[in-house]
Amino acid sequence: MNVELKNIHKHFGNVHANKGINLSIPSGSIQGILGENGAGKSTLMKILSGFIQADPGGEIILDGKPVVIHSPADAIHVGIGMLHQDPLDFPPMRALDNFLLGQSGGLFPNRNAVARDFRRLAEQFDFSLDPDSYVDSLTVGERQQLEIIRLLWLGARVLILDEPTTGISASQKSKLFVTLKKLAGQGMTVIFVSHKLEDVEHLCDKVAVLRAGELVGEAKPPYTTSKLVEMMFGKVITLGARQPAQGGNAVLSLENVSLEDVRLKIRNADLEVRAGEVIGLAGMEGSGQGLFIRACAGLVRPVGGRIILNGRDMTGKSYHAFKRAGVNFLPAARLEEGLIPGLSLTDHFILAEEPDGLFIDRAIGQRLAEERIKSFNIRGAPHTPVESLSGGNQQRAELALLQDPLSLVLLEHPTRGLDIESVIYIWGKLKERCRSSTAIIFISSDLEEILQYSDRVLVFFSGKVSRPLDAGKTSVDQLGQLIGGKNWADMGEAYD
Amino acid sequence: MRKNLIRLAFLAVALTLVVAACAPATTQAPTQPPAPAATQPPAPTQPPADTEAPPPAEPFVFGMLLVGPYNDNGWSQAHYEAGLYVEEKLGAKMIYLDKVNPADRAGTTPDQLAEELVAQGAKLVIFNSDDMKDASTTFAKNHPDVFVIMASGDQVWKDGKVYEEIPNLINIMGRMEYGKMIGGCAAALSTQTGKIGYLGPLINDETRRLAASAYLGAKHCWEQAGNDPAALEFKVTWIGFWFHIPGFTTDPVDVSKDFYSTGFDVVISGIDNPVNLSEAQKYTAEGTPSLGIAYDYVAACDAAPDVCLGVPYFNWGPDYVKAIKSAQDGTWQSQFIWSGPDWADINNHDTSMIGFVKGNALSDEASAALDNFIAELAGGLNLWTGPINLQDGTPYLADGEVATDQQVWYLPQLLEGMEGLSASE
Amino acid sequence: MIRDRLGNLLYQLAALLLSFGVVSLILISVDASPWEAFRNMFAGSFGSLRKFAEVLVAFVPLLLVTAGLLVTFSAGLWNIGVEGQVVLGAIATTWVYRFFLDSNLPPALIIALAILGGMIGGALWGSLAGLLKVFGGVNEIFGGLGLNFVATALTIYLIFGPWKRPGVASMSGTVPFPDEFSLPLVENLRISPWALGIALVGIVIVYFLLQGTYFGLRLKAVGKNFRAAYLLGIPTWQYSMYSFLICGALAGAAGAMQVAAVYHRLIPSISSGYGYLGLLVAMLINYQALWAVPVALFFAALNIGSIQLPILMKLDSSLSGVLQGVLVLFVLLASGMQQKFARRS
Repeated sequence: MNVELKNIHKHFGNVHANKGINLSIPSGSIQGILGENGAGKSTLMKILSGFIQADPGGEIILDGKPVVIHSPADAIHVGIGMLHQDPLDFPPMRALDNFLLGQSGGLFPNRNAVARDFRRLAEQFDFSLDPDSYVDSLTVGERQQLEIIRLLWLGARVLILDEPTTGISASQKSKLFVTLKKLAGQGMTVIFVSHKLEDVEHLCDKVAVLRAGELVGEAKPPYTTSKLVEMMFGKVITLGARQPAQGGNAVLSLENVSLEDVRLKIRNADLEVRAGEVIGLAGMEGSGQGLFIRACAGLVRPVGGRIILNGRDMTGKSYHAFKRAGVNFLPAARLEEGLIPGLSLTDHFILAEEPDGLFIDRAIGQRLAEERIKSFNIRGAPHTPVESLSGGNQQRAELALLQDPLSLVLLEHPTRGLDIESVIYIWGKLKERCRSSTAIIFISSDLEEILQYSDRVLVFFSGKVSRPLDAGKTSVDQLGQLIGGKNWADMGEAYD
Repeated sequence: MRKNLIRLAFLAVALTLVVAACAPATTQAPTQPPAPAATQPPAPTQPPADTEAPPPAEPFVFGMLLVGPYNDNGWSQAHYEAGLYVEEKLGAKMIYLDKVNPADRAGTTPDQLAEELVAQGAKLVIFNSDDMKDASTTFAKNHPDVFVIMASGDQVWKDGKVYEEIPNLINIMGRMEYGKMIGGCAAALSTQTGKIGYLGPLINDETRRLAASAYLGAKHCWEQAGNDPAALEFKVTWIGFWFHIPGFTTDPVDVSKDFYSTGFDVVISGIDNPVNLSEAQKYTAEGTPSLGIAYDYVAACDAAPDVCLGVPYFNWGPDYVKAIKSAQDGTWQSQFIWSGPDWADINNHDTSMIGFVKGNALSDEASAALDNFIAELAGGLNLWTGPINLQDGTPYLADGEVATDQQVWYLPQLLEGMEGLSASE
Repeated sequence: MIRDRLGNLLYQLAALLLSFGVVSLILISVDASPWEAFRNMFAGSFGSLRKFAEVLVAFVPLLLVTAGLLVTFSAGLWNIGVEGQVVLGAIATTWVYRFFLDSNLPPALIIALAILGGMIGGALWGSLAGLLKVFGGVNEIFGGLGLNFVATALTIYLIFGPWKRPGVASMSGTVPFPDEFSLPLVENLRISPWALGIALVGIVIVYFLLQGTYFGLRLKAVGKNFRAAYLLGIPTWQYSMYSFLICGALAGAAGAMQVAAVYHRLIPSISSGYGYLGLLVAMLINYQALWAVPVALFFAALNIGSIQLPILMKLDSSLSGVLQGVLVLFVLLASGMQQKFARRS
């Protein structure tokens, strides 16, 4: 289906999120939409998929006919389906029921017929999805696959994917790309929204770059990375140079630590983290790295072994004890675990300071907030409630909550979903911490990020923990193999 | 902050508007308090002084505070209908407020509500429940110019335990002991098993003496009929309150079931709601002949007429007429009135405080024997005559000794021969 | 921004008018004049100084309960058990009074001790709901309801058992305390300026606690995101417990006022349903302490004003309850609608 957007404007209060965007996407192509966070990509896609309406005056034209889209249901009716960054599913139900929910009409669905369609579609794209499995047991990648076949089944001929490569494994990503190319080959229009240059360059037939609400240009293969970056940011940006590890004292030692949760067991892990060192944890989601990092924070109690922090045995102590001993943990789910929706930035900074006394000193809070907002480059005011910040700014706010000094910072996906400028900024701040002897352990599904910023890397595969690998001597390829469960023979030794 | 202030300001404006709108209306409303003049307390035997004397044709207004709904088929309805009777007999006008209890009227006290009735012109206020005893005292003392009737209380009983001098207050109560004796007799005449159950509310002096009276009536008629005295079983089970409160009281339905399923074929109700009747009906239908006796309200048998032996009831009208008349004509005398049945005709609506209506389930034979018993009572038979021992064996009345009113009113325990608790644990 | 506030006001106003409209329809359906009913209710609550004093008598415990509930609401807890906390406050106050019945201590001191005792009693009862929640995993709504039942049963047990009147245990409650145990009342009125003062101090303290202290901020953090608050280093379950204790103490103070300033003894329904009514008020004001005073006053006025309905118009007083309930529903509905439209535009 040919998609044409004409003169799309959108205001949110005083913010002009889309400024007269004109874009034409031919049927059977993969269109990339590139831009940093807050550039207006998501707004544009939400307009196309009916979640919000554009300001009057613009037009959406499908195969030459203007259409009016007031809701996601309207959108799917005219053949537009959107995959969200966090796939909108209903976790406590079976995949098939989730599938059935979007169906219009029919009080009593014919489950058998639908299950047949489900299997046929899954087979067609080589997805190994079981219609009877529960959605909450699926990985992010599998949920994405489920959502793709659901939208196809509902009759989507335009498929919008918002940051689809975030949070999925390398093999799921390559499978996704194969699928998308196949769909385009079948005449489907694919719109691929991302801030990851590499993905866009690899996949898209055409790229449109947005900056500050405007469409600043389009590009076709072969792409020049530096040119795309310049279009995105309006300036040239380079990644910081790798910094060599510093040989400090041991901050954290794990001795023979065994961990368990309902899904997996980690047996006899050992690790020594030195001051100023950065340890990256790689692995497919749910391979044990989450359990591991939470154990380092005191949030998960080991079933065996000892955890030593700065020479003190902290085994079995609470997170608050760890926190008092200089450990901070920043979880991945920012609005669920990291920040408190409804409270302002100032409130957060006051809380994180753990002040004494009875009455709040608003003046000090305000000053503190202004200072942090400035030094962490947060786009928001002291009184801004955190939920109205963009993802990148929420992440910066979380970083700004870290206490000082600290001996260890634990981070889950610190840059997930962030634009490259934010990534660089955030790592700049973290590296500053390292220079003042703070050690960092972080989880990321972005292997480039792990190699770029870690000194050593631990790879996780279904509860198995590799020995620490020197980040300078390994490669994306080797990590990819390990994450997928290959070549573990020489990783064994103590790690069973 | 500012948002709040604006909302606050808005509310203030809105309130002002309402006040402005209502102001003229309120002055016209007949709500001018009669301003009970505390400076010139009139003698209680005189009609209450009113600063604005009403036109002579105006009827005498009396107020009534009912603890339950006016149509509860029980205690409160009996009072309400007595009020209607007074209106009819004296041409007076009743204003009433029902559901006077802190659960239904949060934050109010009966004395405060009585003031509302006075504000509407009441010259006399009836408090109809034991709950309101303290409030009636407070109210009567604060308003010496208003007449007060406190039903079921004993605070102006000179021979009572809690006597206080309150000139403008009268206590009225009925000698339900007779009604209970008649009920007990009907039960003894009708039981096939010799086992009689008594569904008791909460335990206090009043409920003890009523259960004991039912027992005395049952025992008398049982023995008169020539049965073995030892073969009579009389058991009291208290549910804990006047009616069922789930989670707090024992369920009277369960208690009735326990009785009927363990051979107690007649259950006498002492609670507000005769659930024993409906259970008796079920058990009879299933092949276990079961009977019941209701309480309080003249029409209570209607719930299950075929298993109902009868109902002892209160008829407050005649005593209310007398008391209110005395307030009108200046012969008011503070006193404790404890009226029995009019033995000429206990069901005479105009004269008898206590009555007993026979139910369909009473056999002709039993009915005749019951009439005989009533005639004996009318002839001077007093079952509260010794020897009577308390439940723990302590002698209460020596042989031939007749109980005083105090001994009956303040009965400390159940009687020897009765099963069941004498006091809450 | 100004437009938002105006919009907010319009929605609230619409909710208020709608509620009166619904109640008017009910009245018309039973052939009663709504205008007359509302006028009678208004005259019955503000028509004279004496009536206004009665309104204040109801306002005092309602305000205290609302103040307490603001604290638990801020901590994200639905403290339904507040009703039982009022009851236990009353029981504890009665216990202290009984304890000092024959003592030679100055009455003022005994009254102070009794009120303090009531607050402690309420707080302990509140902490039970808290313990059930924190250590037993029992949702505070269910735990609270259960504890309410127990509190009522305990009251009745005490009145008919250990604390019964000499001779006749009575629904009328325990023996009234001597006059000097009463909080001083305004002459010829039933309202105690002390009780009013305590209630106002209570709400002011809660206002500052929630608006101006680190404690309040942490409490709000716990209420809005328990998990994140824990990760920020706030001792979360302790704060949940503190909120139960504070709410229980304020509810206990309400119970103490019922005993020390209104009923002067323990009666079976000593809480008068103020706990549940307070929940309605707290919902209506959407956790803003400033609004507690006018709204609690309005609700108290409805309660007192509605007494006129059965006397003058033979209508049931529960009409005021209908109005209160409908009002809460419409205000919640209005704020829901408003948010919906705000998202759209």
